[in-house]
Order: sequence, then C-alpha cells, then structure tokens
Amino acid sequence: MIGVDELLARMAATLRQEIGPAVPDAYPRTQAFMAAVVLEKLSGQLRSAAEDARAEQDDLRLLASDLAVQLSEGPCPPELSATAAELAGPEGRTALSRFIEALYTSSERLGPARFEALRARVRQTLRADLDRQVRYAA
Amino acid sequence: MTAQPHTAAAIPEAELHERIVKYLSQQLPGATDLRLEGIQRIAVGWSHETWLFDAYWQEAGTARNLGLCLRRDPGGTLLRHLSDLDVQFQVLRCLEPTPVPTPKPYWFESDPDVLGAPFLVMEKVPGVCPSPWGREGRRFYEDAAARGELPLSFTDTLAALHNLDWEAAGLSFLGVPGAGNDFARREVAKWRELISVCEQPPDPVMTDLLCWLDANAPETERLVLVHGAYRTGNFLVEDDRVTALLDWELQVIGDPMYDVAYVLSELNREGSELLSYVVDRDTFYSRYESATGIEIDDEVCRYYQLLYAMRSAAFWMSASGLYAAGRSADLRLARTAWSVPTVLERAARDLGY
Repeated sequence: MIGVDELLARMAATLRQEIGPAVPDAYPRTQAFMAAVVLEKLSGQLRSAAEDARAEQDDLRLLASDLAVQLSEGPCPPELSATAAELAGPEGRTALSRFIEALYTSSERLGPARFEALRARVRQTLRADLDRQVRYAA
Repeated sequence: MTAQPHTAAAIPEAELHERIVKYLSQQLPGATDLRLEGIQRIAVGWSHETWLFDAYWQEAGTARNLGLCLRRDPGGTLLRHLSDLDVQFQVLRCLEPTPVPTPKPYWFESDPDVLGAPFLVMEKVPGVCPSPWGREGRRFYEDAAARGELPLSFTDTLAALHNLDWEAAGLSFLGVPGAGNDFARREVAKWRELISVCEQPPDPVMTDLLCWLDANAPETERLVLVHGAYRTGNFLVEDDRVTALLDWELQVIGDPMYDVAYVLSELNREGSELLSYVVDRDTFYSRYESATGIEIDDEVCRYYQLLYAMRSAAFWMSASGLYAAGRSADLRLARTAWSVPTVLERAARDLGY
C-alpha cells in the first residue's frame, strides 16, 4: 500500500499541475497552490516523523542525564532538579519549556558560570530539534 | 463542520454597498443622491477588510465628492487580541494635525448591525502601496531608491514620527511605559499573551527566546511614538514621496530603536543591500540621526530584532492557530505553521546556537 507521505506528495503535485492552473479566479487559484504547498510540507514532515520522534526522545533522555550530573555539582534549586527529571518522560518537550523557564528564574542563585553551562547544554538539544524541524519546514 | 472564513456577519457585496450608502447619508446631513463609484475591495483575509471608493452626492444644489477608505474588522483575524479599530481611529485623529502623514479619519462605527462588524471610514489618500514581497514591488522600491527621493522621504517620515510630541498630540492613552526597561518587558509580556491565547503546546526554543528577551530587556532613554511595523508596504507613495503612513495596528509609546531595528532587519530586505528595499544604510543612519538627535544603538537594535523574530513566530502561531481552530478558511494561514521553526531557527543563530 502506498505510504501516506507519498500519497500527500502526489496530491500536492495534482493540485499544483492540474487543478490550480484550471481555476480561473485568482483567490481560489492561490488557495489551490497553497493547498499544494501545505500537502508538500505535511508529506515531508510525515516522512521523517517516526525517526524524528525517536531522535527527540533520545536527545531528551541524554539531556536529562547530563543535566542531572551538572545539577549535582553544586546547590540546585529544587524546581530545576524536579523539572529535569521529567525530561525523559512522555511530556518531555513540555517539561523542557518548564525547565528553561525555571533555569532563567534561578539564574542569580546558580551564578553566571553554572547558568551559562546549563543553558549551553540545553541549547545543544534545542539546536538538534531545530535542525530536524527546518529540514521539512524550510 | 464547515470552517467559517470569519466571524463578521456575511453580507453580500451588493447589499454591503447599499448599507455603506445609507450610513454615509446619515453622516453627511444635507447630502442627497449619494452614490459610490470605483469600489475596490483590497487586502482580503489577513487582517482588516478594506474597501476603497469615491462617494458622490448633491448638497444644497452643489455636486460634491470624497475619496474614502473603509476598514472593517472581520473578527477572528490575525493580531485579533492586539489590534482594535477604535484605537486606530483615535490614533489617526491624534495624528491628523501633526506632520506625520496619515489618512484623515472621518467616522468610526462600533455597532455591528450597520455593516456586520465594527468599521472605520477614512480619507483615500493618493498613492500606491506595492508589496515588497513580490518581484514587481521590489523593483518599484529599488527604482525609486535609484532616483533618490523616496529613501529620503522614508527616513524623514520615521524621523517626523519619532520627533512628534506624543503627549501634546493626546496619545498617552496608548499607555506610557515606566522608567528603565519597562517598555521592552511590557512588549515581551504583550506578545507572550498572544502566544498563550494561541493554545498551542509550548515550544522550547520560543520559551528560551522569551526568557532571553525578558532577562536582557534594554533601558529606554527616550520615549517616542513607535509605529511598530515601519517598512515598505506599510505606507503610500506618490511622486517618490510618502503620502500616508498606514497599518496603525501595533503602535505604542516606546523605544525609537524598536522602529529602527525593524528598518535594519534582514527580514525586511531579503536579498537586498537596501534597508527595507529602499534606503542605503549610510543615508538612513546619517539622515535619521541628524533629524532626530537620536544616536542609533546597534546593540539595542540587535535586541529588538530578536524581539521581532519572537513577534513573527507568535504571529505565525496565531495565524496557523486560527486555521486549525476553524476560524479562517484561508490556506495561507495554514501554511504559516511551517514558518514558525524557520523564524525561530534564525533567532537561535542570532542567540549563538
């Protein structure tokens, strides 16, 4: 059976090459071409969705483990260690946002060096996440 | 369930024209035989709906006419939590007697029964407003830049805006930030609010950007009236001069570098050396600084450019959210879901990762 991503890509091609050019009015014609763009993006996103989800989970697990080590190297605000522990769980992405909020809130207590080190480690994960998203979004 | 294009009452175009005639007749006592000609509907879909037309009527035996622009709030649009036609009307009223070129505002109507949604009526100012995002528009601005007048008018108009005595003009109602970094932090909070009403799961990169913006908010030394989206495409041009500054949706009392950063932004001049496709950097710096006495602070502009990146991402989140929620049937809005990571990726690079 044809893959969903391939089906969407073919539908996009039909919209772009057959349907769009046959629509006489400007607004619906633009919408037909825009539908083709949306389907192309969806197709690309779906194609790598499983692999990206696995990579994201792996990255978050590794981040949780690295942060646990970094946070154990000195006094640690409890909300930071609690949120860091959730990164490897099913809501890891949401937990990462909460961790970042807590990190900035705790920056004075952590001191500039520890804050910078923790943020740099978090940003390594954010960069990998962005690279995956930009592959199909750009 | 069929998605509704917007929440304004759907009124057929012909009936809408009749209702406009009736409304204008009520606003122009003594007018008889009022009719509209040259009706054009422009800027469909993204923000406010806009119609341009000429009204002709008889008054005490004399033929009269007026070029008008009507903007209607369709509801459920982009920036729906930040933009209000009533505020736009008040701002235009305040700016009318000032050197800032703006359309003369005539009427604001809040009763949705009149045209299906609140609307304002203002002067139709002569001039064109090519979009800088298309090839033709870019060529228009680059040709004008080569002739030399429009780059100066572009810069002078921003200087006039920033030199305006906004308190004397009655614009304090927009909200006056406190001392220090209150302005920048207010702006971040405002856009955080827009993001929260999008009801999308938190994006960690966006969270990092928001936290960085909060933690690094610069102090504002001089408060001015900030347009909030000062670029080509947001003003009318005639004979290589800016005839009217448009899109009063994001104006605020704040840091002049907020507007300057937008002019300098690469987002508004992709592939062009000219700022906003129209003015070279040296001309803009020297003329703006000399006209305002404000020194352009590149570091503060860098901050506001990151704030603009956050704003763009929030804007696209809002747009795609409208489509996802069935409040718009415009597929251009659905497409913007994939603009969010692209803008955030650029911001991340600017933040050093």
